[in-house]
Amino acid sequence: MIQRRFVSLLVVAAAIALWPAGAGGRAAAGTIRGRVDVKTPLAPEPSRPDVGALAMPSTREPMDRRRSVVYLETAPRAAFDTREEPHARMDQRNESFVPHVLAIVAGTVVDFPNDDRTYHNVFSLSKAKSFDLGRYETGRSKSVRFDHPGIVRVFCDIHSHMSAFILVFAHRYFAVTDDDGRYRLENVPPGTYTLTVWNETIRGDAPKRAVTIPEGGGDVDADFSVR
Amino acid sequence: MIRFRTIAGGAAVSLTIAAAAPAQTLPAGPAEFAGGAVTVSGNVSVSISSHDDIAFFNYTDYEHNALRMFRAAVSGAWRIGPRLAVLTEIRSEDGEHVVPYAFYVRARPFAHVPFDIQAGRIPPVFGSFARRSYRVDDNPLIGYPLAYQYLTSLRPDAIPGNADDLLLMRGRGWRASYPVGSEYAAPGVPIVSAYRWDTGVEGNFASDRYDVAASVTTGTLSNPRTSDDNDGPQVAARVGWRPLFGLVLGASAAHGEFVNGEIENQYHPLLGDESYAQTAFGLDGEYSRDHWMVRAEWIHSRWTIPQLGTPLVAQPLTATSAYVEGRYRVTPRWYVAGRADTLTFSRVTGEHLFDGQPTEWDAPVERLEFGAGVYLQRNLTLRVIVQPNWRDGGRVRQRTYPSAELAYWF
Repeated sequence: MIQRRFVSLLVVAAAIALWPAGAGGRAAAGTIRGRVDVKTPLAPEPSRPDVGALAMPSTREPMDRRRSVVYLETAPRAAFDTREEPHARMDQRNESFVPHVLAIVAGTVVDFPNDDRTYHNVFSLSKAKSFDLGRYETGRSKSVRFDHPGIVRVFCDIHSHMSAFILVFAHRYFAVTDDDGRYRLENVPPGTYTLTVWNETIRGDAPKRAVTIPEGGGDVDADFSVR
Repeated sequence: MIRFRTIAGGAAVSLTIAAAAPAQTLPAGPAEFAGGAVTVSGNVSVSISSHDDIAFFNYTDYEHNALRMFRAAVSGAWRIGPRLAVLTEIRSEDGEHVVPYAFYVRARPFAHVPFDIQAGRIPPVFGSFARRSYRVDDNPLIGYPLAYQYLTSLRPDAIPGNADDLLLMRGRGWRASYPVGSEYAAPGVPIVSAYRWDTGVEGNFASDRYDVAASVTTGTLSNPRTSDDNDGPQVAARVGWRPLFGLVLGASAAHGEFVNGEIENQYHPLLGDESYAQTAFGLDGEYSRDHWMVRAEWIHSRWTIPQLGTPLVAQPLTATSAYVEGRYRVTPRWYVAGRADTLTFSRVTGEHLFDGQPTEWDAPVERLEFGAGVYLQRNLTLRVIVQPNWRDGGRVRQRTYPSAELAYWF
């Protein structure tokens, strides 16, 4: 009897949790899409002159600094529902972290496989997540779970030119731009939101703009220019 | 797993990710010029310790104390092409004169062969410490290993007339004087100088498992020079082997004319065409895994100097040094580190000193150094160490130094 009552409570709780946000599920979700045009020159981050080396530095994968992250600064309630423990991956390849910019939702476990030919280390001293995975060899992978929103800068203590960004969000309304700077935020409930852009080259205030998804849903275009 | 976050207010929450405190507040990377062809980086370190104007355990060949030093250095690389670059580092210690620590051309003659040539004031191929010592972030402690810093009583420009002259300077390497050669008292030399680099040309072939490097330079390990002073180049070589991930083993050798040419010329009728050289052998190893890093190095050096008078200076004079150092990162910010170090010498027999008994030609030294460091930022480190020293001779036989260092690089 007690067990049956507990199961009933669980069903009710799940139904509440899964109930669509907005006007009782009657409103159609929309899509915010656009392009981020990064005007700043994006040369690969240079290596420190390795004066003590006896050889030319090895070739490394250029950092893709064009990537921006577009996200809703204010997010609807349903944005905070997480129904599974997501996984993401950041490789170590040719003395670079790939991808250079990773955006994840809080609670994501990120795997850091070493797919390079050399030893690597992965660490961060960021407030959002401080960790040190130590040094490990090719073929091995270690993981970190990111529970708190914020910007996490990732480094290798062997190769000072290796760095990456992990942006941890409390909701799922974010997107990383593609090669052309394009992005799509899908299934955004009706409402008015502040849309913001992050790019590592931005100094000062991040570009923002208000966007409104009408009750009937549909696509909304929002382009940005970043200098 | 179903997780549901209760949001106060129910509808929305403000995210301030863009305003989150950035991880770095000081410049974290090198500056670029000329469209990326020129990169410039730098480092600044300040170390403080108690005064030491009597024991001189940590004095360097610039007569500066390694534990009480302000050092500023700027490194630059000019990539002229994909296979040609010019590299330099200029440095000032204690705010005094600026020294070109490194200045050389690096070239890769064949596009698909990992063979590089460097010419100019070049990093040494011998051993492992001297190549990495210029980086403030690569020394887990503040002091240097004895082999690379401690000043023996031997000098290239002044030599003892007999064994008693040599024994008289025992434990006084910071200010040695001899009756032959330069009449001025001056610091002796370490086994390998990490505070100056030599001038010449070197080649390096690297593969996944092996590195082979060889150089021809004007000075010696003890006495690197920008210009030759004895018509005798030094030949040095090192073979490095990586048998497994994280493990690097190396074997080095070097041989070069040590004694200043003016002394050789002055005593040529007596000495003939003898060679008075420094010959050294070294073994080095490094193993790192997870949060551990362990390094060890063994160096044996022998010098031959002219035998001018009795009691004769037994040949060759040798010095052997070995150290083991380790670092363990306790947390992402904190680490602990330690080094055990020893330096010993061969024996000579004087007539009037030490009762005519065989005695080490310089006073053996043992040193421990241990401490902790914290990364205030990724490129801003604070280290605190304690360094006890023991010396079997000299005016002061035991001295312990505390020291702290703040080091920043970009």
